[in-house]
Amino acid sequence: MSAALHPASAPALAQALSTPHSLPHTAADLVAQPWLASLLGVGAIMAFLTLNVLFLIWAERKVSAWIQRRMGPTEVGPYGLFQTLADMLKLISKQLITPSHVDRPLYLLAPLVVFAPVVVAVSLFPFAPGLAVTDVDLGLLLVFAFAGLGIIGIFMAGWGSNNKYALLGAMRSVAQNVSYEIPLILSALAVVLLASHPEGVTLEAGTPSAHTVPLLGTSLAHITLAQEAQGYWFVLVQPVAFVIYFVAALAETNRAPFDIPEAESELVAGFHTEYSGMRFAMFFFAEYTNMLVVSMVATVLFLGGWDGPLLPGPVWFFLKTYTLLFGMIWVRWTWPRLRFDQLMRLCWGLLVPVAILNLLGAAVLAEVL
Amino acid sequence: MGEYGEVGRTLLLGLLIGVVPLVLPLLISPRYKGAETSKTYECGIDTVGSAWSRFGLGYTLFALVFVAFEVDLLYLFPVALVLRAHHWAGVAWVALFLAILSLALVFVWRKGVFTWTLGTVAPPPPKMDSPRAS
Repeated sequence: MSAALHPASAPALAQALSTPHSLPHTAADLVAQPWLASLLGVGAIMAFLTLNVLFLIWAERKVSAWIQRRMGPTEVGPYGLFQTLADMLKLISKQLITPSHVDRPLYLLAPLVVFAPVVVAVSLFPFAPGLAVTDVDLGLLLVFAFAGLGIIGIFMAGWGSNNKYALLGAMRSVAQNVSYEIPLILSALAVVLLASHPEGVTLEAGTPSAHTVPLLGTSLAHITLAQEAQGYWFVLVQPVAFVIYFVAALAETNRAPFDIPEAESELVAGFHTEYSGMRFAMFFFAEYTNMLVVSMVATVLFLGGWDGPLLPGPVWFFLKTYTLLFGMIWVRWTWPRLRFDQLMRLCWGLLVPVAILNLLGAAVLAEVL
Repeated sequence: MGEYGEVGRTLLLGLLIGVVPLVLPLLISPRYKGAETSKTYECGIDTVGSAWSRFGLGYTLFALVFVAFEVDLLYLFPVALVLRAHHWAGVAWVALFLAILSLALVFVWRKGVFTWTLGTVAPPPPKMDSPRAS
């Protein structure tokens, strides 16, 4: 279904490139090639994610500096752009200290469990028509599923560290993450509902290549196509869902004003108190990549993904994504932290009921529109 | 099905790549080991007891409520995909489903799960006469 829509998907392209026709097609070739394609895809994602994290950390430091009337990093590279790179090199050369009282398997595996799922989550996004490492019909569900896996890693880290700060941070983090998952998914469901057209919609209407296809609201590509076909983005008809999503996304990424899992004035560093060097860097990497993932989901769900005039698809996609990311950084440096009970009351007492009502409204809207 | 195999491969490769930054520092970083290097971090104070002890039940309740709601939301995904094909009857079903879900929210709310009380961790220790007062 999606393969028919996007014949030139990245893995297919990679597979075509890696198949010189002079070689015989043995059974070993057939087994090896999907792996090669996946390797190319993961390599591209890792390169992008590393650049993204280096840039985002620099951006966070610069934006926070401007908000607090400071300069931020200025020394390493133009405008301090290479500061994070220098920090990363420092972290690689740091000793990895394993405290003696930890649960070793849990403690050592936790960074990996936090890190690997976010790579998969990023691989599911279509940055332009047909440009995705993996394009599956259940993309949205898989993104939520893999983003949710990180919670297990956080709890492994908190429990395995055998440190009170870490355990408290992990407990708060899990309670907060699972609670805010509910309004997050409820607001996403409103869009899934509106983007689904089991009876089909006409794409590229008015052109010779006009065709009618049924759209699945769980496919990230189809959500974008639905917005393209109807000519407006879902934020216009679902502004409440967008606000709820954004608030819940801030909580999901453990960012201020919802950063109580690692409230540094109470818990040192929360669940990663006992981690040093590159192990700590892995949590940091996952945290900033998670910011990127929730922003990309918001871009697809509410801001039309790659859809936009004149500029090519990926440019629009990342323009929207990084605008949202700037918003997240802005919020962090202007809003004070919530207390745990306030946090929970905001979620279950306000966001969830409003999101339920909004979903009902979206169901009615789907019939009216 | 092949597309989902791709997801599995990506996960495996992600795990493999994740091992690299965890192993690389072992080759180039110093290996200092002092008396206090591997102590539990507690701002320089000696640790009292283990962190693996009895813990506030309040967090568990959130996990239970989450499981119930999350499963209900997953039921709504297939419904959302075909809602338009069922027109107003579909809307009525979704309304009924959400009404029952809201009842669950009201029930949990009235049970006091979302009221965070400090007393849920442990009863306060019995009052002891201080030697100075006597």
